[in-house]
Amino acid sequence: MNKSAFNLRLVRGAKKIFIYAALALAAFVSLLPYYWMVSSAFKTESNIFRLPIQWFPNPINWMSFVNGWQAQNFPRYFFNSFFVSIAITLGTLVFASLAGYSLAKFRYPGQNIFFILILSTMMLPLEVTMVPLFLLIKNFEWQNTYQGLIVPFLVEGFGVFLMRQFMLGIPRDLIEAARIDGASEMRILVQIVMPLCKPALAALGVFTFREAWDMYIWPLIIVSKDDLRTVPLGISLFMGNYGTAWDQLMAIATVGTLPMILLFFLLQRAFIQGITMTGIKG
Amino acid sequence: MDLSQKKSPIQRINVPHFLKLSAPRQQKLFGYLILLPTLVIIFLFRFYPMMQAFYISMTDFDLISPPKFVGLYNFIDLLKDPLFLNSAKISLTYVVFAVVPTWIISLGLAVLFNRNIPFKNLIRSAIFMPVIMPAVVMALVWNFMYHQQGVVNVILGWLQISPIPWLRSSSTAIWAIILIGIWRASPYFMVIFLAGLQAIPEDFMDAAQIDGANSWQTFWYVTLPLLKPTTLLVVVMSIITAMKVFAVPLIMTHGGPANSTRVLPLFIYQTAFEFFDMGRASAMSIFLFAAVMIVTLFQIRIFSTGEYE
Amino acid sequence: MKGRNLLAMLLLVAVLITACAPAAPEEPAEPPAVAEPTTAAEPAATDAPVAEGWTFPTEDVTLEIWWHEYGPFTAYMEEMIPKYMEMHPNVTINATKVSSADLNQKLSAAIATGTGPDILDQDASYYVQYYEKGVLEPLNLEVWGAKSYEEVAGNYLPGGADAGTFDEKIYALPYQGNSMSLWISNKLFEDAGLDPVNDAPKTWEDMINICPKLKVVKDGVTVQKAFDFPYHSQRWQLQQFQPLTEQFGGELLSEDGKTAALNSPEAVEALKQWKRVTEACGDPKTTMNTPSNPNQDFIDGRLAMWITGPWATPQIAASEFVGEDFTVVGLPQVDPTNPRTMVYGWEWAVNADRPEINKQVAWDFIKFVLSSPEEWLAKAGFVQPVEGLLETETAKTFPFLSVHLKDVETASWYIRSGYVNEISLAVGAAIDSVVYDNADPQAALDAAQAEAENAMK
Repeated sequence: MNKSAFNLRLVRGAKKIFIYAALALAAFVSLLPYYWMVSSAFKTESNIFRLPIQWFPNPINWMSFVNGWQAQNFPRYFFNSFFVSIAITLGTLVFASLAGYSLAKFRYPGQNIFFILILSTMMLPLEVTMVPLFLLIKNFEWQNTYQGLIVPFLVEGFGVFLMRQFMLGIPRDLIEAARIDGASEMRILVQIVMPLCKPALAALGVFTFREAWDMYIWPLIIVSKDDLRTVPLGISLFMGNYGTAWDQLMAIATVGTLPMILLFFLLQRAFIQGITMTGIKG
Repeated sequence: MDLSQKKSPIQRINVPHFLKLSAPRQQKLFGYLILLPTLVIIFLFRFYPMMQAFYISMTDFDLISPPKFVGLYNFIDLLKDPLFLNSAKISLTYVVFAVVPTWIISLGLAVLFNRNIPFKNLIRSAIFMPVIMPAVVMALVWNFMYHQQGVVNVILGWLQISPIPWLRSSSTAIWAIILIGIWRASPYFMVIFLAGLQAIPEDFMDAAQIDGANSWQTFWYVTLPLLKPTTLLVVVMSIITAMKVFAVPLIMTHGGPANSTRVLPLFIYQTAFEFFDMGRASAMSIFLFAAVMIVTLFQIRIFSTGEYE
Repeated sequence: MKGRNLLAMLLLVAVLITACAPAAPEEPAEPPAVAEPTTAAEPAATDAPVAEGWTFPTEDVTLEIWWHEYGPFTAYMEEMIPKYMEMHPNVTINATKVSSADLNQKLSAAIATGTGPDILDQDASYYVQYYEKGVLEPLNLEVWGAKSYEEVAGNYLPGGADAGTFDEKIYALPYQGNSMSLWISNKLFEDAGLDPVNDAPKTWEDMINICPKLKVVKDGVTVQKAFDFPYHSQRWQLQQFQPLTEQFGGELLSEDGKTAALNSPEAVEALKQWKRVTEACGDPKTTMNTPSNPNQDFIDGRLAMWITGPWATPQIAASEFVGEDFTVVGLPQVDPTNPRTMVYGWEWAVNADRPEINKQVAWDFIKFVLSSPEEWLAKAGFVQPVEGLLETETAKTFPFLSVHLKDVETASWYIRSGYVNEISLAVGAAIDSVVYDNADPQAALDAAQAEAENAMK
């Protein structure tokens, strides 16, 4: 092997090591707080804040999960969170896709204005729109109901924005070709465009589920019945002015992250590389 | 391929052809129709309350007695208020220093993950963890990690760096919060960039390489331009979310020490619910809104070449 | 498509599992670490007679009550509510517990939209605002069975009912009245060769003198603090700054509560003293306290002396390091012959924006629920600032109750102003800048005063 080939291999090797090191560092930094939460769930309360810090629980506290689960009506809270989050996610996937497609691939007057208006709704913090929104919900008598939790958030600017941007990248020719072939608009949308959007839909699904699951202020304001509480509100009950059951809180919080982890893991399949666009050039 | 022959269930519920509109008109109608549900929901539940908030910003409203119209008083008074200006400055610092590193890190990670790396799924899931933690728990855990003898300083100690006071000093607290912001947002936008990258057909990049471009040139001249729509999304959303961050400062520092982490959304929350001055809080939000809107429109301008291809 | 189906199925299964999971058995909350009363239950708690001149309504009434979640407190309320409903079958009471950090926001939004509860639970300092804005319904003397407000106030320690009294009418009554006193960690004192009772500081100078023995610094890291003021919450900071200023002879607020005097010479002295004590005794950089765990340092044995209230008793008594090994003494003073302390509390009040009949029954319920201060102490661990509490059986088993009550007697209420939050944030910022950034106390308090004036104009 001559010198230049050797050098090339060296550079490539160094590049690889650099990449792996960067990824390992990123993974470590990302996991550390999560590890801290999980390990706290298994520590006895007095060890959670022990100094110097205790990296590994000792003794292991198995009761935090049991005690935490029984401290409040968590089976009901988890059901509520699932129901609301799934409803919002499905609604968003449908409506944001429709709206995104409309804004990306069609031309009609007022289109840009609609887009800007939709974007603008994301720019005011919830604190100041909350009271007017609550008044509106009250007019429908939706306080303390599932629809009050779901409908106002059934689709949001972010979803529309994401789908629009993604669909901008779908070549027009593909759609035009299908039109020429006599396919109806709906059919084009469902059978041609949507399958190409898998990565965006997966991302949108995960993010929307996360936002819906984590929603705090809105459920806090409109829910005054224990059997409509969602998981974040349930967890907040662990924290008081007088002291916090940290081990139970961390335990239930850990359980609360499991649906998200499952969802993300399952949707990884959608992030496959190289969505091929056969049919354009054929 | 003759699509008109096979009629799937979906096809039976589409826009009827007997409307006898010309093809372009049919398309326009279809475009409007599918936008309509979203428009209704967003208009009713977001836009309408937003307009009311605009109105409230011109009133004196303490949440209990009916609002009293005061015109532009709130706005003028805010511009003279050193606390408001301080909050605006802190928010600006936060946004700039949290958002720019986020762009770089998230894009870098997405590019890395677009290749074939061993254990890709596992590492990617690990990196996604910051997004999964609930905001409140995340704030509590980081609060503990930032303790003088907490995890962060311990790790710095391994690198022979002396402990940093983090949340217990008015000069470092905002940086502690910024770091959390970067940590939380990077995986989020990495996923979005990844979705965008995956939509770029390999053929384009292969073509460039055949033409003799190296990977950096391919990236700069082929990938990035094709990534523009995604980049616009990331830039705009990262700024919007950074401008609204308040759970972490609320829980970890409550704006302290010495007001050094009193970002604008936190100040708005305090003004609305602790000072019972919703009119003033709404006015502050309008300032924030205007700033974000201007920046967003500007971004759209920059990134909007080459759409509707 | 297969992946999506799998996913949908898994999620559906998860939903079904949680929906069909057996309901968790009702676990009684941990009782506080104080003995149950050994005497028979107070008769007043179970058959509260209806006051003369007012007949209990026969129509169906539904009341909503919100309170902030705390194990023993919630347990006690959940004991009392069914009792009341049994006594009055036409009354239904719907209870909602809220995390205390969220109570204010939820309550404000509800009142703003007319969906507030019948009975409010809130820290006394918020009621000034509520009163000024007409949210509160005054105590109904007929329902209560009293001839005057003075009569009702007479059951309380001197000044005990003041925080809920506006314009000489009572609008809210405390179920907790907490003074903040000095808690001593016996083990840490004994390790330093000190006696927790005799060596406990009575003045701030005493404290500065004793601190070198209790503050332990190793390799530049403070591993044990002698004493520290709070930094986790501006409200706590103001609650301890207020008595300190008063001890130097100043007042933070004018009599009518309309003007602030945050930068008076006495306040500046107080801030200087705060800093001196901190430098000698503490290290704010190493605190583990958070608003939802304000006593963490003391509980974990990293802090020898700490100022907190009687409600901390169950938590501290149940802790591993301290347990029951603590002593409580009066708040340190500048001049022990003229003690000045602070009391704050949580109170019940009634929403004025509800039907008349709801409001009447609401006050009747409040009377019922407050009727046994001894039970409040035993079961909820809360000290009501009432006469005669010290003589009850439970009081004898509640650690250092006499000390807590003595500090209540010499106390001023935590500042009662609609601007209490603005003021606490301003003062907190001033304290932080002096302690963390070595700012000049006069300049820092001048800035706080300017902030307060701006807010109060």
